[in-house]
Amino acid sequence: MSERMRESLSALMDGEADELELERVLRQIGDDAELRQTWVRYHAVHAVSSGQQLSSLSLDISAQVRAAVAAENQVGQAASRWQSLWRPAASFAVAASVAATVVLGGQQLSQFSASGDSTADSALAAGVSPVGLVNSLGATSVQASYGTQSVPSLQPASRTAYRELARQRMQQFSQEHAEQAALNTPQGLLPFARVHTIQE
Amino acid sequence: MAALIKPACLPRLLLAVVASVPGIVLAASSCPKADPEALQWLDKMSRSAHTAYHGVVTLQRGEDMQVMQISHSITGDSSSEQLTKLTGQGAQVVRQGHPLNCLHTGHRLLQLGASMDAGDCGVSRYYRFQVAPGERIAGRRAVSILVEPRDMYRYGYSMELDQETGLLLKSSTLGRGDLVLERFQFANLSYGAPMPSSGEVEVVHEANHPASTTTDISAAWTIGWLPRGFEATEGAPGLLGRRTYTDGLAAFSVFLEPLSREIKPGEGIAREGSTTSYTRGLSLGGQPVLVTVIGEVPVNTARMVADSVRWTQ
Repeated sequence: MSERMRESLSALMDGEADELELERVLRQIGDDAELRQTWVRYHAVHAVSSGQQLSSLSLDISAQVRAAVAAENQVGQAASRWQSLWRPAASFAVAASVAATVVLGGQQLSQFSASGDSTADSALAAGVSPVGLVNSLGATSVQASYGTQSVPSLQPASRTAYRELARQRMQQFSQEHAEQAALNTPQGLLPFARVHTIQE
Repeated sequence: MAALIKPACLPRLLLAVVASVPGIVLAASSCPKADPEALQWLDKMSRSAHTAYHGVVTLQRGEDMQVMQISHSITGDSSSEQLTKLTGQGAQVVRQGHPLNCLHTGHRLLQLGASMDAGDCGVSRYYRFQVAPGERIAGRRAVSILVEPRDMYRYGYSMELDQETGLLLKSSTLGRGDLVLERFQFANLSYGAPMPSSGEVEVVHEANHPASTTTDISAAWTIGWLPRGFEATEGAPGLLGRRTYTDGLAAFSVFLEPLSREIKPGEGIAREGSTTSYTRGLSLGGQPVLVTVIGEVPVNTARMVADSVRWTQ
């Protein structure tokens, strides 16, 4: 998979891809196993932050989505080719969001359950994660089943936990980042003003 | 109070100083997409640390507004800076005896000079610039530079520079749809003698200099992907093997924490103003780790950088 494709994929996850990028991904995804896997991986981590359950995501990509995008394109061209060049049509966002909820089969999902999630689940359920984060919200993670495979279902416990981790890391590391930013960006010492509590 | 750190530039930085003598005429012909006027302003801005000034600065991030005092003085061939928070925490950051000829990566990237003749269009490959007459800010006449990213990996800026000195008087960080994520601005400004200190201070932080940072854990990891135009800042990797990258206008840092137990794979995002904190839990070659990217870049950039972290062995 080319680096360009990987960029397109990540952009798509954030709804920041343009029409060309979406088309590029859709053209390739049927034939490129690595691309599919990366998509699944991106989607799995994204699902945690957006609170979706992996098991609730639908399978079967391409045909449907490709048709949807093609239809959108025709409409766009009929309206004004010039306009669609400069301003991604609103309907494009719809197609992108369709694309973003595709893929994910049982085969791919089993990769996640194989990576030791059950231990992480119990760690979270026990109240403490391996990174020393206290799960104070009392949410527990649940194992859902997908076919014959036991599949980790991403519950709010880990979504909230990850958001909390990101927040804690921001506080923990922001001063060291500011130290560097103050020497390498135009505003002088100002990056230190972004640090919540300055340490000596 | 932290021990006073003796600043010292790395040798390769001194070489960079030699290569970018001020006053070189920018050759627009070798970089057709570049705006030579804007690049001259950026160059001037990056050298504005050579003047003495002091003033009051505001930083607005969403609902939050901070006020601080900034003082910059020159003694001989070194400069001293001081930032005192006037709201919130009573904290002060001090950097003393910073050699004027010490050119860090971020500023070097804004001083294209001769490298542009050699066909390196530098920062103009990643941003589009537009120069216009500016507002009046802190009583000073300004020139406005609109900085628009050419790709999705960085934010845009609306900057106002002092027409006389090139000092950055006001800067807004613009996200998607020109949404203002953060705005910094001088409320008043005087050039010359340092301002008498005021404001109660409880914490004084002596700002670091790269040569003094030490390695905490083995620097056995690397980053496989960087947005175009970002370069590593100088100095040894810091806490948790921290690495920082800059394109001259923005910077982000990457941290890696090895964990003792498995963690459920996932990602978390926290945002404040223009700062993104992106944390990803994953298994890297069988070792569970937590990768965190913090910086003034979009989430997408942070995610892609985190995704490319690998062990070097």
